[in-house]
Amino acid sequence: MICAGIDAGSRTIKVALLETGTLKVVACGMGDQGVQQEALAMELLEHLLGQHGLSRRDVRTIIATGYGRNAIQAADETITEITCHARGVRHLLPGARTVVEIGGQDSKLLRLDGDGGVRDFAMNDRCAAGTGRFLEVVAARLGVDLHELGAMARRSAKPAAISSMCVVFAETEIIGLLAAGTPPEDIVAGVQASIAARVCAMTGRNVAEPVVFTGGVALVPGMAEALQSALGRPVAIAPQPQMTGALGAALLACAKREA
Amino acid sequence: MSGRPAKISLAQWEEQYAALRAAGTPEAPYGGPLGRHVRDGDLRLTELQFDNSPAALRLWNFLLTEEDRLHQARAGGKKLLGAMKDLGTVPVLAYSLPNVVAFYPDGAWWLPCVMRMSDGLLAMADSLGVDESFCPVRAMLGAFLSGAHFPIPDLCVCSVGATCDDFSAIAQRLEGLGYPILWWEIPARRRCEAGEECVELPGGFRAPARQVAFVRSELERVRTALEHLAGGRLDDPAVAEGIRQANKVRRLLKELRSLAYSSPICPMPALEMLLAEMLAIHFCSDRDECADVLAELLQEVRGRLRRQEGLLDREAARVFVVNPVADLRVMNLLEDCGGRACGTEYLFCHALDEIPQDLPPMEALARMALADPMVGPARERAERICSDILAFGAEAVLICRIPGASHCATEGAVIAQAVRSRLCLPAAEIEAPPVSDSFQTTLRTRIEALVETVLSARKR
Repeated sequence: MICAGIDAGSRTIKVALLETGTLKVVACGMGDQGVQQEALAMELLEHLLGQHGLSRRDVRTIIATGYGRNAIQAADETITEITCHARGVRHLLPGARTVVEIGGQDSKLLRLDGDGGVRDFAMNDRCAAGTGRFLEVVAARLGVDLHELGAMARRSAKPAAISSMCVVFAETEIIGLLAAGTPPEDIVAGVQASIAARVCAMTGRNVAEPVVFTGGVALVPGMAEALQSALGRPVAIAPQPQMTGALGAALLACAKREA
Repeated sequence: MSGRPAKISLAQWEEQYAALRAAGTPEAPYGGPLGRHVRDGDLRLTELQFDNSPAALRLWNFLLTEEDRLHQARAGGKKLLGAMKDLGTVPVLAYSLPNVVAFYPDGAWWLPCVMRMSDGLLAMADSLGVDESFCPVRAMLGAFLSGAHFPIPDLCVCSVGATCDDFSAIAQRLEGLGYPILWWEIPARRRCEAGEECVELPGGFRAPARQVAFVRSELERVRTALEHLAGGRLDDPAVAEGIRQANKVRRLLKELRSLAYSSPICPMPALEMLLAEMLAIHFCSDRDECADVLAELLQEVRGRLRRQEGLLDREAARVFVVNPVADLRVMNLLEDCGGRACGTEYLFCHALDEIPQDLPPMEALARMALADPMVGPARERAERICSDILAFGAEAVLICRIPGASHCATEGAVIAQAVRSRLCLPAAEIEAPPVSDSFQTTLRTRIEALVETVLSARKR
């Protein structure tokens, strides 16, 4: 039998399917988020099931997470992305003590205990300046693809100082930097450092190692290095970092099934 | 009549009120169905969940009729004092006079929430240059200008100095609009230096004797102004009696908080407890009635605990709440997410502690004023919070930032850090505007995550 985890995030929907008992990943996939959140999630779920010759009847339990979790009526239970990301990371990298998750619209810092349970957490809540949205805005403004940002940042000789706490103001700041002739590479490096600094501000004084980086932004080249530099500690990127929440939800669904 | 404790909607309260009336249940002169307040513009009530006891109905009615009471007081020839920012000190003095009624115009900060922004008070403040970079207490400016809420006080008294930057700026703007204010200064509470005489304050704080003496001298100026206002003397025995009466209210609240927050079951919702605690600072313009309202609420709580009838799941996460929320609905949300308020610090814990009765009364008031959590270092406030968390057995802390409030910008992090490092408890920060509907998903995620963290820790 199968258990499903649905991570209805602000930018994308992720689904993970696990085989109960063995906890083997049967399938996972991702699609764009939209207005019809449940329909999109169910479409993705059905698609993944169909690809593996399965149907909804094979799914024993569904747990939904992410901002849109309450829109997923088909879910047996909803659990926050804090708990789900922690569970997902614990499965993939059992020794992790700190998890940094940067998604499309928010960022989180989770402190885990020795058993992988959440001891405490912090989330950004003022602005998108510490999130993937910032990178999207910058990429669009510079007319480059998100995946080019890492290579650009690496070419930077002098990262620009981005001081705004707000994406809208930061965009204005970037326009000013461009007008002043600042190389785009320096702007990108400055933005990545700025996002990492926002996350760093959530950590307080203690960051226990190992630190694991998850969320879609972990896939953006250069971000892990920026985070590592800001934290002053090595940062490991979780395997398939954008799927950690869905995986955690699926694992919790399996655990619920067995309980 | 109300049956088992439950949280009910406004519509359910309307039905229950009719049943109470039919059964002949007595009610206070300001009683009536809750729905009438909606017709008066308190639209947010339609979106809240209320405790179903007659005691809670009385509490709500008492609170929501304060403006009527103030107008009646004026019509009856009483003098109205607008006490500002001290949160619990000047009203004790004012109510020591028979013909003075004190209230907090600051209380207007909840009007944008209660009236669901329909009254335009914040827009009026905006037009005066006091925009959203200030705390929602700026609604007070609109309330003064519109005159649609409280009567304009005969005298305004405002503490200034270490209390609150926002409020000082807002009150200065008010004075600039032609509303004279008697300012009294409260210094930043500091640690005693070596060899300096030090005195104990309520709440376990300490301050240099010279600071207490200064505050006392400032309060003497307030006393003189009150005597002019009332046209009679306010001597020490009268102040001492005022302190005794204020302590009566504080003792009721102390027991109410102790029972509600420490018990294994939840006998009173977080929202009604928030309203009850607010009475400590201003008595809702009728000190004696305030004591009666609290006594009935306490009786209800005692009865529920005796019968072992709680409102929420016994397994609800025990959450200590820091700072009052700008949107009352967040108190409901805490419980909807599986949490339960077990301890609070709404920025006026000094007004919940008894005022010393074994000291000269003005000295006692000065010490109490200096125990205000806002006038000392955030570190000391955090220490007090940690101590209260232990006393109430809370398992997590929810820090509610007040949008625009200057002190909240940094205090939250200090408090969260203290809670994490000293008590090893999780802490989450939220920020809710006066009407937070569009933030419900965000707020819910943070509160649910806090609850999940607590429940997960219990299993370990």
